[in-house]
Order: sequence, then C-alpha cells, then structure tokens
Amino acid sequence: MSNLLGKYAIAGVGHSKLGKVPEMGPIGMFAVAARNAIADAGLTKADVDGLITRGPDDVYCHHQRVGEALGLNVTYSTSTDNGGASQVLGVAMACMAIDAGLCNTAVVGFGRDTWSRTHRTEAARKRVNIGIQNQGEFGPEFGWFGAPSNYAVSARRHMKLYGTTKEQLGHIAVAFREHASRNPNAFFQKPLTIEEYLGARMIVDPLCLYDCSIYIDGAAAVVVTSAERAKDLKNPPAYIMGFGFGNRLSGWFEESNMLTTGAKEAGEAAYRMAGIGPDDVDTAQLYDCFTQMVLLQLEDYGFCGKGEGGPFAASGALRLGGRLPTNTSGGQLSEGHTEGMLQIVEGVRQVRHEHGPDRQVKDAEIALVSGHGGNTACQSAMILARDAS
Amino acid sequence: MSEYTKPLPYPTIESEPFWEGCKRRELLLPQCRQCRGYWFPPGSTCPHCWSTEWDWTKASGRGRIHSFGVYHRAYHPGFEGEIPYVFAVIQLDEGPRMVSNVVNESPDKLECDQPVEVVFEDVTEDVTLYKFMPAA
Repeated sequence: MSNLLGKYAIAGVGHSKLGKVPEMGPIGMFAVAARNAIADAGLTKADVDGLITRGPDDVYCHHQRVGEALGLNVTYSTSTDNGGASQVLGVAMACMAIDAGLCNTAVVGFGRDTWSRTHRTEAARKRVNIGIQNQGEFGPEFGWFGAPSNYAVSARRHMKLYGTTKEQLGHIAVAFREHASRNPNAFFQKPLTIEEYLGARMIVDPLCLYDCSIYIDGAAAVVVTSAERAKDLKNPPAYIMGFGFGNRLSGWFEESNMLTTGAKEAGEAAYRMAGIGPDDVDTAQLYDCFTQMVLLQLEDYGFCGKGEGGPFAASGALRLGGRLPTNTSGGQLSEGHTEGMLQIVEGVRQVRHEHGPDRQVKDAEIALVSGHGGNTACQSAMILARDAS
Repeated sequence: MSEYTKPLPYPTIESEPFWEGCKRRELLLPQCRQCRGYWFPPGSTCPHCWSTEWDWTKASGRGRIHSFGVYHRAYHPGFEGEIPYVFAVIQLDEGPRMVSNVVNESPDKLECDQPVEVVFEDVTEDVTLYKFMPAA
C-alpha cells in the first residue's frame, strides 16, 4: 500500500442527543449522528458508499441494521469488534478501503443506549449486571466483574513500582471535568475539586467513583473521504496524517501488559506514518474509560517517560492552556462514554478551530486521538492535522 | 450447606480437568512436553511453542500477589454481604497468572509481591474454588 499520509480526511462530524435519551434506541441515535455528520460535510445520502459501524455487542451484523435505518446501499461495509479501539480502527479501515478503490466516501460511527439499558429500571440494571457476568469462569466466581477490576490492578501495580499516587490520578479527573464545564453537551458540568475526588466513595479500590467514565446514551459519526474531495466541501478538513495499532492479545495479566500497553506500538506506527513525534502534538483526545488508562497512555504515547504519568498529570499539563490540553470536551469521564467516538469528533473540531476561545486549543495544528478496548488488549491511534503537509 | 448465591464457574471442555483437580485439592496447570512451559487459563495448544503435546501437572500452589483490588460495590447480589472483598492477580511460581481471592487477611495489610499459597474451598457439593492466603 502507498503511504497514506495526508491522502484522506475527515470531512464531517456529528452526534445525536447525548446523555439520557430514553426516547430513542441505539440504531436510531446512530442514524441521527450519521445524518448530522453527512450534513456537516455538505454531502448527501447519495454520496455515501461505505459504512463502518459499532454498537451494542448483542446486535448481530450491526452495520446492516444501521444501513437499513438509513436506507443505504453501499459497496464497502462491516461492523468492528475491537471494543473501544474500534472507532479509530474504523476510520483507518475507511482510508484503506478508499485507497483500494472499494468506496469513495464512508461513514464511520458508534451508538449505544448504555444509560437507558442500565438505568431504565432497577430490575433492568440488575438483569444487565447479572446477565453479563454470570457466565464464564476464572473471574465471576471470585467476584471479578468487568472493567474497573482490570484498571484497579493496573493502578495498584503502577503505584507499587513508580510511586504513583491517588491524588495524581485525581488530577486527570479534575482536569477533564474542568473542560466539561465548558461543554454544554457534557453529562457532568459541575467542576470537581481534588478534595471531592479524594473523598469520593471507592468502587474498586484504588479506583473511586470519579476514576470511572460515565455511561450515556448517544451516538457519533464521522465522514471519511479523500483529501482532494474534502478540500472543496463545506467545512475545513481534518487531514488524517497517520494511524497505528497495537494489540497485546496475550492479555492484560500477561508480561507487563497492564503497565505498558499496545498504545506504545500504536503510537510509534502513527507517528512514523505522520513523520512527527509526541512533541509535535498540540492536543490529545485519549480513550478515558478510567483515569488509569489515561495515565498509561500519556506514557505509552511518549508524552512523558514510563512511570512519570502521575507527576505529568499533576503538573497541570492536561488542562486547557497546559502543555498538552487533553480531552477538551470532558472526555468519557465527564462528557460521556461513547467508546471513543466523541474523542474523534473533538479532535476534528480542535484542528478545525471550531470552538470559542474558552475551549479552543490555541493554534492547534495536530491532534492525537486514541481508542482502547477489546478485553483491554486493543489500542488504536490516529493523528489529525489542520494542514496536509 | 446453605444455598450458595454467588456465580459458579461454567467449565469448558478444556477446563473441566482443572476443576476436577480442585475437588481433589490439586491446583493443576497444563505443562508442555516440548518446551516445558506452563499456561493458564487451560487451552489445547501451548501458547509458547504451539505444541499440542502436554500434560496436566500439579502446581506448587505457591505464588505472589502481582496486584489486587478491593471491591466496595457488589455487582452481583451474591457478594452484597462480602464487601469490601479482595480480588487479586496471583503470579504463580510456575509462571502463569490467575485471578482469585485473597482470604484470611485484612485488605489493608496486603501488598503487591507478597507471598501467598493456595487454599481450597468447597462452595457446593460439585464445585471447589481455589483461593489464596498469605504464606506461612
């Protein structure tokens, strides 16, 4: 394959109503997000010939259901299965499909009714919990349930080896909440103090309530097309300068994978394709399912050394105006969890200089956007830029 | 025995012998005949050298707490009376790591890399779980 540096771009972004959306299902929200993204690009339904999707795990052939809702026939389409690493992967797959001549303009998106599923009724909440966790072995029988456990053991091991503190993790949550206070779409907009963070109830010690992202209902989507075409559309393109992946499939507990993640390989590949390094990144939109995952990525993407994520976060680097303004929408910790799709949207908006002065990273030229998921094994990274060179 | 309300393991064709071993107070690990490596969870192919020639070997039952967490929220009604409880990733002396509970010690006395040893707990007539406690 030829070097894809700057050949493709995100031409439009959109999302559904976010937060509590009990009146709509995940496919419906996805359709709204796709419509909004296509309109944002200044394109129409007839222009779309690719569709890459992800939604709830229990929807078979998810892309067909979304395509049905949109009344779309396309050439290139699939659903992805890398958890929260799927969304950046989907954008990269779109670039590769266009480069191979398989389609010209693809919609990539995610949508899920996670808040409604888990909060509609107390019975629904219990059903979801037990339904997910009551089958299998080597985990549930010991009370090991789901994602918080994985990041709790990572955090404790990091604390043991590097002296990372709970308060340092807290600076991640506090910084993102401060950004969310400038985002009218964020689920939590009330600023959080470090004292409130340290006093919060534990979920899985050492992780407390504010170390965990917030499940919401919502969908977001982007439109990927050639840079050539994107230049003439309604909004300035966000050029895709590089992408990369790291999949430590051997598992979170193996080797040192809970301390150094596939983000290392993902970042190295993305930087290499883009011809840049971590010092060139103006803003990062990182996959923040938990504060601990942000800490690991700050190290693995090379913004600081291994073991230095805690002091880096506590230095104020992540705040707007800091050295590396990160998750400027509030991220999944405060804006809401859409498996990283809103991180891509925010990366695009930052390099387009779309925000007002309170939320815009001044002179942002380059954004790093990441994804993470798939039983904690999968990482994806993408570099977006304001200019194609 | 009063009714057991926590989740029970759903063994697979590849893990059944492991659970049978627990009933006999034996912690079994697959060990490769070719490279002598161990692995966990059980599977039919050695993940180190891809050999399919291997044996169930009785492990020492000794290891260290690689890391651990303390649940302060019950995600399953069976654990409501247990919180706070400790779960851990145990680094076995043989090499593999496994998820389990650390029992017989208060959570605030535990540390990463602390030595532990296996204990078995018959939770129903058919199921015995492997857990760990601080080594003597």
